[in-house]
Amino acid sequence: MRTAYLLGFRLRQEVLEWSGAWWFLATLVVQAVIAPLIGLFVWSAVYPDDPQIARYYVAVILVTLMTESFEQHTFSERIYDGTLSHELLRPQPVVIGVIGMNLAIRAWLTLLGAPIVLLTGIALRAGFDWHSVLRSLPSVVLAAALVFVWTFLLALTAFWTDRVHAVVGFGSQLVFLFGGTAAPIALLPDAWQRIAEVLPFYGMIGLPAEIAAGTRSGGAPGYQLVWILLLVGVVWVLWRAGVRRYTAVGS
Amino acid sequence: MKLLRLLGAGFSMSLRRSVAFRINLVFDVLLAFTGLGTAVAAVLIVFTRADAVAGWSKAEFLVLIGTYQLITGMRATFIDPNLSWFPETGIRNGKLDGYLLQPAPSLFLASLSLSSPLALIQFVLGVVVLGWGIGAAEQPPSVGGVVSWLVLMAAALVVTWALSVLLACLAFWAPKLQLDVFYHSAWQLGRYPTDVFARPIRVVLTYVFPMALIASVPSAALLRGPQLGVLVAGIAAAGGAAGLAAFAWRSGLRRYTGATS
Repeated sequence: MRTAYLLGFRLRQEVLEWSGAWWFLATLVVQAVIAPLIGLFVWSAVYPDDPQIARYYVAVILVTLMTESFEQHTFSERIYDGTLSHELLRPQPVVIGVIGMNLAIRAWLTLLGAPIVLLTGIALRAGFDWHSVLRSLPSVVLAAALVFVWTFLLALTAFWTDRVHAVVGFGSQLVFLFGGTAAPIALLPDAWQRIAEVLPFYGMIGLPAEIAAGTRSGGAPGYQLVWILLLVGVVWVLWRAGVRRYTAVGS
Repeated sequence: MKLLRLLGAGFSMSLRRSVAFRINLVFDVLLAFTGLGTAVAAVLIVFTRADAVAGWSKAEFLVLIGTYQLITGMRATFIDPNLSWFPETGIRNGKLDGYLLQPAPSLFLASLSLSSPLALIQFVLGVVVLGWGIGAAEQPPSVGGVVSWLVLMAAALVVTWALSVLLACLAFWAPKLQLDVFYHSAWQLGRYPTDVFARPIRVVLTYVFPMALIASVPSAALLRGPQLGVLVAGIAAAGGAAGLAAFAWRSGLRRYTGATS
């Protein structure tokens, strides 16, 4: 209960803080939507008469906005400049502040990106079945958790290297390729498709987007939950090792 | 000549600084490999489902990706280390004041004096993909096509530099406006032929934010042969963009009152 209260307080604080940076947030929206938009145009050129392509990619844009994570900027920079020490001294888990900022940024991105999603959907006549959209919500929540844990895990490498942006960049490339942004998983070559369905990246973008677009009837909460638990375990190990290694600036 | 010597000296100093951190070299090489590998893989996936996309064959796509990578590599090596986050690093932190006091053109110092030699790995990988694309083409490029490609690449480099300078110049009027994320995101659009996009986006990418000139136009010239009109337009665009960048810089400096005074 206390953790939930602290998280709510932090979320409110971060939402208010980020409200002053709406112009920068708008550029983050552009960054988030550009890869799905490219995918949309390329695959629409390949299948010009298939309405599923437009519907799927509009869903991908929305899922991407709702699940974006920037822990390599918000958390890793605190390791580099030593201000993580302030968080470590507080009588609360450090991750509460990280999650609070993550949720605040996602809320703003979703709000600012909603007009783009609506306009794209209307322009391409991507009619959605609202039952499918509602059915996708649990999967979106799990996808949001999965993306956060994955990005946070990679951001923790800042304890060991100053090239955390390269590490997270590599992780993002995997999500782009196997997550369903470069191509819907069903359009991948068979071998790639089998690999993509096992890896966690499909559960981050493609799975909830497919459910929302109506190309897949049911979710796969077990698959997403197993990956979340596995990655949380790795995060736990890395966090303990990283904090032991951490030496604050000036100490 | 003096500017070329300065550019060489700056590159040499940056190279010595970079090789002192060898692990960073490993990270940069790996990221360049995976970044380009991802882009190529995305295209190869598309071509498992189609023989041509918006009139572009697989070989032409590969040539386009290679060309895009060459320009991106040059930008990351020579332009980004100077002009990335310019409102913060150049204006608000007062670095520009130092350039204005030095006996060399301030535009050159602010836009080309530093470099990031490790980023040249992107250029090398771009050459490899370009060679792959040319090898996969049904016909080798003609001499005219190669010359046309070289001229248009030079024009694309000038336009790339000018776009970065123009973006940086915005900081003279709006120092808090940070458009780097937007610029780098929009840059990704150059990796695909403009013919793929819807007409309004195609018009913007040709006349407003000329990403078509960065990769699509040179690639088409290499494999489909030269077109005089396109060559003239490319050279005119480069001249116009460079002139506009120099004018914006001078206007900005007249307005600039110093961050450290």
